[in-house]
Amino acid sequence: MYRAAAKRLLSGGFTATRLLRFPKLRSTIIPYSYTSGLCTSSMGDTESSMGNQFSNPNQSGPTASSSAATGEGPRRHESRKPRAEFQEEQARVLSASLRHVPKLGWTEEAMMAGSRDVGVSPSIVGSFSRKEAALVEFFMDECLELLIDRIESGLGLQNLIPSERISELIRIRLEMQVPYMSKWPQALSIQAHPVNVPTSFKQRAMLVDEIWHAVGDGASDLDWYVKRTILGGVYSTTEIYMLTDDSPEHRDTWAFLNDRVKDAFDLKKSIQEAKYFAQDIGAGVGKSVQGLMNGVMQTMSRSGGSSAF
Amino acid sequence: EQNFEVEDYNFCRSYGTSITKQEAGEQSFELSFLYFFASFSRHKFRLVGKLSPFAGMKHLDVAGGTGDVAFRIYDAVYSVKRRALQKVDEASLEETQIYVCDINPNMLNVGKQRAAERGLRDNKSLVWVEGDAEALSFDDNSMDGYTIAFGIRNVTHIEKALAEAYRVLKRGGRFLCLELSHVDIPVFKDLYDLYSFQVIPNLGELIAGDRESYQYLVESVRRFPPQERFASMIADAGFEKVEYENLVGGVVAIHSAIKL
Repeated sequence: MYRAAAKRLLSGGFTATRLLRFPKLRSTIIPYSYTSGLCTSSMGDTESSMGNQFSNPNQSGPTASSSAATGEGPRRHESRKPRAEFQEEQARVLSASLRHVPKLGWTEEAMMAGSRDVGVSPSIVGSFSRKEAALVEFFMDECLELLIDRIESGLGLQNLIPSERISELIRIRLEMQVPYMSKWPQALSIQAHPVNVPTSFKQRAMLVDEIWHAVGDGASDLDWYVKRTILGGVYSTTEIYMLTDDSPEHRDTWAFLNDRVKDAFDLKKSIQEAKYFAQDIGAGVGKSVQGLMNGVMQTMSRSGGSSAF
Repeated sequence: EQNFEVEDYNFCRSYGTSITKQEAGEQSFELSFLYFFASFSRHKFRLVGKLSPFAGMKHLDVAGGTGDVAFRIYDAVYSVKRRALQKVDEASLEETQIYVCDINPNMLNVGKQRAAERGLRDNKSLVWVEGDAEALSFDDNSMDGYTIAFGIRNVTHIEKALAEAYRVLKRGGRFLCLELSHVDIPVFKDLYDLYSFQVIPNLGELIAGDRESYQYLVESVRRFPPQERFASMIADAGFEKVEYENLVGGVVAIHSAIKL
């Protein structure tokens, strides 16, 4: 998933602060998404592909088995090229597998069919870590790449107000999922597996970050995390709404999306309103609680003296 | 024709002669008895799990004459539950071929007998072949998977066996090797060494009156290259994505790789 960010790095549109916000988590990285050598050196774990060391994934005591999938696993002691070849091959197989997803779902069968298309033995699927998740995550990365490409090739976003820009970007991104809509619930459930959650969470965080970046930061004075969370919420709810939308060209979904975005933008106002509202009722509630406490204190001071507390 | 070098002869002599099923069973029972804490059969399950067998695959299991790994693969492919979950058509099931290759025909006979007991005597999917891991009789690029469980230690020239494995595998095919390996964990290592060099030969003396064979066995385990060295040997044979997984702290290790 760092391909997306790495592209920005190369194109110079990347700020240093954004780079820091996605520190690399060793345990969640999908090996195939390492970019070329230039990018991994700047963002990557230095002991990974560049290190060319065999690292012993052996962890705890005699009864524990250490899987090569959780750690980085031993590397070839030769040049990086051979390892990159496997990742390319994996990417090729996964890409070919996507064609079979509408019929076979996000499953090993789809990946085996994809591997046959590429001309590789289906055995290779057995070596993908978290098999079906690999396919879903590959797709998510691809969509993010496509989105970035679309953004960079110009969308005429300048003419739109921020809320409309967000709507437009989310719409573009969600439309990429339309061909797989019949099997998308399966993809969502795969992403929700505890094992896969770290990666899927990260991918969505990156997606949301890209969208905000494209919209133009500083549109409002809300906190960075709040912005990402709100947009993440809007995106997820729209995505789920889309699962059951039968309207022609998903018109209902886009209407739903626009409503959600409007709500989100009014959120600052509604947070303020909520605060005032709370104060209004709170005044009454607070007063009565306070009154109670005062009463209690008086009773205690009358009977027990100040040593009660 | 079996060519054993002198140093291997000691260990393999009991395998080189004709032994009854009971003896063969006892031999492998001995090994799993000696390394009781390593529970070989559980690790063979893990090996097959890692392989992820699929219907229609062509698989080669080397040095597995008694059929442990082969039967597990067969079950994995043919299990009714799995078939219900996945959309498998009968035609590709028919195409599944599991070749069991062993240098020792007696071990193969044991395997065939066990197959008969399971009702698989005439099953076309299981093929028992006598052969040498260093000179396989199979075509290039013909296998989807290659496994060798507790066998590569006894091969005289490991590089040759690896090269042969590379040759017969298809592009994308997987190589998996389960073997006794080296322990690095501080305290456990000492315990393991103590057990290996003190207890096992004495047990051998007590039970079989044959200290030398067991001494040799323990030494051959030590002589086998450690995990990383073996991984680099696999890589030298041309394999990609070479990884290993330590089980029981390193007493047993599964090395896996892909031919690309």
